[in-house]
Amino acid sequence: MKLLTLSERLGLVSYRNQAKSDIKPHIRVDTDICNSVCPHKCTTYVCPANCYTMDEDGKVHFQVEDCIECGTCMYACDQGAVDWNYPDPEIGRGVTWNFG
Amino acid sequence: MDEKFDCIIVGAGIAGLAAAMILARNNMKFLLIEKGDFAGAKNVSGGVLWGTDLARLVPEYWKEKDGGWERFINHRRLTFMDEQSTFSLDFKSSHFDEPPYSGVVVLRSKFDRWLAEKVQEAIDESDYAMESFIATNIKVDEVLMEDNKAMGIRTGDEEFHTDSVIIAEGVNNLLSRQVGLQDDYVPADHMLTGIKEVIRFDQKVLEDRFQLDGLSGMSNEFVGYATDGVEGGGFLYTNRDTISLGLVAGIKDMREKEKSPHDILNHFKEHPVIRDTIKGGEVVEYSAHVVSSGDKRVMPRQLYKDGVLLCGEAANLLINAGKAIQGMDFALRSGIIGAETIIKAKEQGDFSSRTLQEYRQALDDSYVMKDINNFQDAVHMLHSPEMYRDIPNLVCDFGRTFFTIDNQPTQKSRKLFSASVKKHSSYWDLIKIGFKGAKSL
Repeated sequence: MKLLTLSERLGLVSYRNQAKSDIKPHIRVDTDICNSVCPHKCTTYVCPANCYTMDEDGKVHFQVEDCIECGTCMYACDQGAVDWNYPDPEIGRGVTWNFG
Repeated sequence: MDEKFDCIIVGAGIAGLAAAMILARNNMKFLLIEKGDFAGAKNVSGGVLWGTDLARLVPEYWKEKDGGWERFINHRRLTFMDEQSTFSLDFKSSHFDEPPYSGVVVLRSKFDRWLAEKVQEAIDESDYAMESFIATNIKVDEVLMEDNKAMGIRTGDEEFHTDSVIIAEGVNNLLSRQVGLQDDYVPADHMLTGIKEVIRFDQKVLEDRFQLDGLSGMSNEFVGYATDGVEGGGFLYTNRDTISLGLVAGIKDMREKEKSPHDILNHFKEHPVIRDTIKGGEVVEYSAHVVSSGDKRVMPRQLYKDGVLLCGEAANLLINAGKAIQGMDFALRSGIIGAETIIKAKEQGDFSSRTLQEYRQALDDSYVMKDINNFQDAVHMLHSPEMYRDIPNLVCDFGRTFFTIDNQPTQKSRKLFSASVKKHSSYWDLIKIGFKGAKSL
């Protein structure tokens, strides 16, 4: 059985409000903290949906579109950079599991 | 809405639905609020719902042809894993074939939705058929407090008023924090990320490969190589025409060892034994969710306050003492006990912590807190490097030498075992673990 890449895996996830282009992010990340004081930048590897990425300059970027609301970053970040909430059903993103 | 509810339950997972069922049967006026599109829409578990309590919510659920559960467990397997090998404790028995089953595999998107239909039926038969509701697509922003007592909830600009709130919001317990029962920041120390794939097979292949008959099923837990040196373990459960294959990995440990959960899952899937097990399958869903370890140190400081109860994973009610990963059954039982406490509070006309502390008392007297309290040492042991690294290596090394037949004079097992011990641990460490194990299990 072929292993799946993360983007293939995320391609199997049903997201809410996918047709909406302007969604309200349910997680706010103060990447200034990530990029100034954080010694590990661990969200860039512990997030199961790869919402946190690091560019060539080692800077952390965050996007909420692929978030599957697992909660990992809320615990993993010990620098106070992650303001975590659940998505708004109307104007947020987030998941609807088909199997769960 | 001006009307006041007896209770508002936040979250239609197993804890919230169990509470709702009991409230409906006892003619309470309540509102069950779920932020997902339907009950179960945002819920993920491994997962086996252990024990027989489900029949308390849906009597003789096994008689329904297309019930919301997947398979009953009559086959248990605990597997030690090193790079090449697996060594399993395997127990299968027809003793488990007859209802009430002692464990059923579930897929939450389907199971919770089914359970919610049963709750709606109970509401329809209650005195408040038109005044109790299951409301979906609503996110609760705040539990409204007055003089430090819960009196309602707020969603957007709307408020709903109530005598009591059952917070059954799950492990990412923002409202439990807001009402002050849990710290605002919960560190990663005792939290894990659960990650899994649902893999579909041709029905016949699934039945043959896992020795399934009718709706019988298997649960298999893995320790060792599965988690690539990170604290945690793997799992495989059989569903009707899919399997749930995944693992849990300690968040703090991943942070320190610079590991990604999705890489660890691939590492697990590439193991030769797993590769053979999942051959020909098709991944139909990838999911992840945080889960607590069962370490009491992460639990909220209290599970009640004036007008509020915490049930299920919101209260971090979970344990893995080596025998099974139990969380959903704790959620179910705590939901039942929570609802019973609310009913009593209504009878006495007192929703303050004076009455609600009976929830904690009843939970402490139940198997839920008894097991959590009694098996703390086992939790600590299972989350130690000896258990997720050294012991599986030792066991598999012994298996390899024991089962090797190479037309050379065969050594006595004791000598082989001794060699494996020296390679991966020491007798002194083993005695310590054995002593700890004997004491904790």
